[in-house]
Amino acid sequence: MDSLFNRWKTKIPNYSSEFKFLFDRLSSKGGTEGAKKISLGKHFSTNYELYIYAFFLGLYEEEYSPIPKDKKKLKFSHHIQHWGSKSNKIGRKDFSRIQEYIFTALVAKTDINLIDLDKGIISEKEVIQELLLTLEAYTNGGLMLIKEKLEDNPNYYLQPTSFLDMIMVNIR
Amino acid sequence: MIIRKIVIKNFLCYFGTKTFEFENGLNVILGDNGEGKTKFFEAIYWLFNGGKNFASMVSAKALKETNPDDKFDVSVLMEVEQYASIKSIQRSFTVLKTEKDYNISNSRIIGVEETKDGERIRMDGEKLLDIVLPPEIRKYSLFKGESELNIFNNKDALNILVNSFSSAKHYDKYLAQGASLKKKAEAAVDKESRHNSKKQTQYKNLENEIVRLHKGREKIQELLNISESERQTLEMHIEESERYVDNAESLETINNRIKDINSKIRQEESVIKENYTTYLFDDNWILTNFENVHRTFAEKIKKLQSDRRKLQSDFDREEGIKAGKEKLKKEIIEGLTPLPVGVPAKAYMEEMLDAEYCTVCNRPAKKGTPSYNYIQKRLKEYLDSLTPKIKEQQEKKVLFKHDYTRMLFKLSSTHEDTLATLREKKSEIKEIFEFNATRKEAIKKLKERLQLEIKDREKIIGSSSIGENKLANILKNYSSWQRDINSTNNNLRNLESDLKQISKELEAKIKQKEEIDIDAASSFLIETRNILRNIEVIFRDTKEVKYDEFITQLEKKSNLMFQKINADDFTGKIVFKKRNIGGKSNITIELQENGKIFYSPNQSLVTSMHMGILFAISELASELKEESFPMIFDAPTSSFGETKTKDFLNLVYQTGKQRIILFYDFISKENDVQSIKPEFEEVKRHKAFWLKRQRPFDKNDLSTINTEISSI
Repeated sequence: MDSLFNRWKTKIPNYSSEFKFLFDRLSSKGGTEGAKKISLGKHFSTNYELYIYAFFLGLYEEEYSPIPKDKKKLKFSHHIQHWGSKSNKIGRKDFSRIQEYIFTALVAKTDINLIDLDKGIISEKEVIQELLLTLEAYTNGGLMLIKEKLEDNPNYYLQPTSFLDMIMVNIR
Repeated sequence: MIIRKIVIKNFLCYFGTKTFEFENGLNVILGDNGEGKTKFFEAIYWLFNGGKNFASMVSAKALKETNPDDKFDVSVLMEVEQYASIKSIQRSFTVLKTEKDYNISNSRIIGVEETKDGERIRMDGEKLLDIVLPPEIRKYSLFKGESELNIFNNKDALNILVNSFSSAKHYDKYLAQGASLKKKAEAAVDKESRHNSKKQTQYKNLENEIVRLHKGREKIQELLNISESERQTLEMHIEESERYVDNAESLETINNRIKDINSKIRQEESVIKENYTTYLFDDNWILTNFENVHRTFAEKIKKLQSDRRKLQSDFDREEGIKAGKEKLKKEIIEGLTPLPVGVPAKAYMEEMLDAEYCTVCNRPAKKGTPSYNYIQKRLKEYLDSLTPKIKEQQEKKVLFKHDYTRMLFKLSSTHEDTLATLREKKSEIKEIFEFNATRKEAIKKLKERLQLEIKDREKIIGSSSIGENKLANILKNYSSWQRDINSTNNNLRNLESDLKQISKELEAKIKQKEEIDIDAASSFLIETRNILRNIEVIFRDTKEVKYDEFITQLEKKSNLMFQKINADDFTGKIVFKKRNIGGKSNITIELQENGKIFYSPNQSLVTSMHMGILFAISELASELKEESFPMIFDAPTSSFGETKTKDFLNLVYQTGKQRIILFYDFISKENDVQSIKPEFEEVKRHKAFWLKRQRPFDKNDLSTINTEISSI
C-alpha cells in the first residue's frame, strides 16, 4: 500500500487565474540562472518554485485564503513529485525534502480525522483532496501578499534579496 | 635686377588692367583668403615658366563684358631694372568671343629692352627672360606656401645648387683632364712593367689583387653608407618617441594596474553568492521558519498515535472478553481440559487406527468402538488445524483497516531529527550575508581605486598629443629601436674596422706593385706618371676646397639668418653634411642640437630653417653674379603666427633685398567688413598692397569677381 505522502505527491495543485501574471513576470522558463535572472526580476527558475514560495509565505504569515469559487483554477503540468531538479545538470538541487515538509505542513494545518482514515471511514482520496485544498489556500494567500508588495513598489523585486527579505524578515 | 612693375590684364580675378609698382626692398601684399593673392602668384609663375592651359587663365568677368566677335588680351607684364636699363617681358594671348564660346589665339612672349638713351629694342621674350632672371636663379625665386620652401627634399637639388653657384664647377674640366692624363700615364707604366718584369706572375696577381681590394672597399663603403642611414632613421624614431616615452611608460604602468584591479574585482564578484531566491529552495532556507509548523504537526501526530492506541486497546479488550467468554463456555460444557491439538502426534494416531489398538491406554480400540472413533476425531482435529483459517480470520473483527499513522509518525520523528539542521540555517544565512558584505565592501574600494587610475590615465593620454594605442606602441617600438641602434652601431664599428683593414691591405699591395714598377719601368715614365698623379690630386683637391668653401659659406649665412629669424627661440644649428657616395659628393642638410640630429622640430622651426637657407642662397647668388635677384613668396610662414611674422618681415626689411611676400595675416574681419590690423603699422616695409574683391559679388558666379589693388 502506498503511503499517503506518496499518493499526495502524484497530484498537481491549482492556483487562481488572477495570479497568472505573477508567474509570467517572476519566473523564467528555459533555465536562465544567476545574476542575469535577477536583473530581469525573474527570481524563480520555474513556476513551481514560485508556487512553493507562495505556499510557505502564506503558511508563515497565516494567510489561509482558499481560491474563491468564482475564480478560474489553473495548473501547470508538473506533479509535485517532479518539483526540483533530478538531474543536477544546471547545478540545482532536488526538492524531496521540501516536498516532505509541505506535506507535513498540510497535515498539520488541515482539519482531517486521521483516525477515520485509518479506520477506513473516510477515503484516502478525500483526505488528499483536503490536503490539496489547504496547499492551494495558503499558496493563494502567499500570492496575494506578493501581488500587494508589487503594487506598492513595482521595482521591489529587482533586488536580489527581495524574496528572502519578505519571507524571513526576522532572520537577517 | 629689380622688378619695377607687374601689370596683369584679364587674368582670372584681375579684370581689366591691374598694375603693381614695386620698390627695391620689402614689398608686402596683404589679402584675405580668396581675394586674389594666389592668382597674382600664378600670374607671375605663368610669366616665368609659361603654360598652355589658357582656358584656366581667362577672366570670367572680361568674357562676360565683351560682346561677341570682340577680342581682348590676357597678359602678364614684368618691367625690371637691370644694370640701369629697363627691360620688360610680356606673356599674352588673345581671346575672341563668339556667340556661344570663345577662341584663343596669338600666344606669345615679347621682350623689350630700353637702352640708357631711351631707345626701345624688341627682343625674343624667352631669351630676355633668361637674361633678366637666369634659370638657375629662377628656381630659387618663386615659392608657394610653406611646403615648397623645402627645395632640398630632392637630393639632387642641393648638388645642382652648389654646382650652379660655387666656383668648384670651373674645376670640373681640369679634373676630367687630369684624371685622363693620370690614367694614361699609369697605363703606360703598367704596360712596361708587365713586359719587363721578371716577376710577371706576381705582378699580374698584384694587379688582380688590387682590383679585388678596390671592389671590396667600395662594397664596404656602400654598406657603411647604408648602415649610417639606418642609424639616422633609428635615431630619428628614438628622438620622436622620446617625447612620448615618459607618457608611454606611465601609461603602461597604469594599464597594468587597471588590469590588476579589474581582475581583482572579477574575482571578488565571482565569489559573491547572491542567488538568494535559489538558496531558498536548494539549501532549504525556506524551511528556516518551519519549526512551529513542525511542532503543530508533531503534536497532532503524537495525539493521533495516542488516541489510536487507546482505541485499539479498548477494542482489543472488548474483543478479548468476547473470546474469553466463548472459551469458558466450552470448558464448562465438557468439564474437561482438552489436550492440545496434535497430541499425540499424527504418526502415532495413524498407527493406532491401523492397529485398532490404543497405545495411550494400552488397550484394544476396534473400529466402530468409541475409543477408535475418539482417536479418529483427534486426528481430524489436528489435520483441520493445519488448513488456513481464512474464513475464521475474515470473520474476525478489526478496528483499523489502515495504518497511515505509522508513516506519519515516522515522518514526524525524522523531521524531529533534522530540526537541528534547520536551526543552523539562520547562522548559515547570516554568514553568507556577512561574506557577501565583505566582498562588496572590497569591490567598492577597488572600484574607487579604479576610478582614480582611470582619471590618471586620462590625464596621461590627454597630455600626450597622440592617441592611446599609438602611445602603447611607442613603448614597444622604443625598446626595439634601442636594441636596433646598438646593433647598428656595432655593425658600423665593424665595417669601419673592415674598411681600415682593407685600405691598409690595398695600400700595401699598391706599394708592392709600385716597387716592381720602379724596377721594371723606365724612370722617365715613372716620373711622368708621378707628376700627372700630383696634378690630378691638385685639381681634385682644389675643386674640393672650393666646394667646401661654398658649403661653409652657405652654412654660415644660413645659420646667421636662421638665428635672426628665431631671435628669442631655440634654433639649433643647420649643418650641411657632405657624404661620399659612389665616388660623388652628396650634400644633406641636418638640423642639429649639440652635435646631434634634431629629428622632430616644429613647423615654425623648419620654416625658419628653410627661409634661412633660401636667403643665404639668394645672398650668395647675388655675390657671385654681382647682382641681386628678387624673391617672391606666397604665404611662406603660415606656422609663424602674427608676432613672429612681423619680426620676420622686419628682418627681411633690414636685408634691403627685393622681396615680394604675400600674406593673409594682419587682416581682421568683422561682419564681412575687412580692415587692416593696427599691428601692421609695426611692420617695416618699402611698399604694401591690399588685395580685395570688388563688392558686391556673387561667390558662385566667377563673372562677378574682380580683384582691386590698393596701396597702403
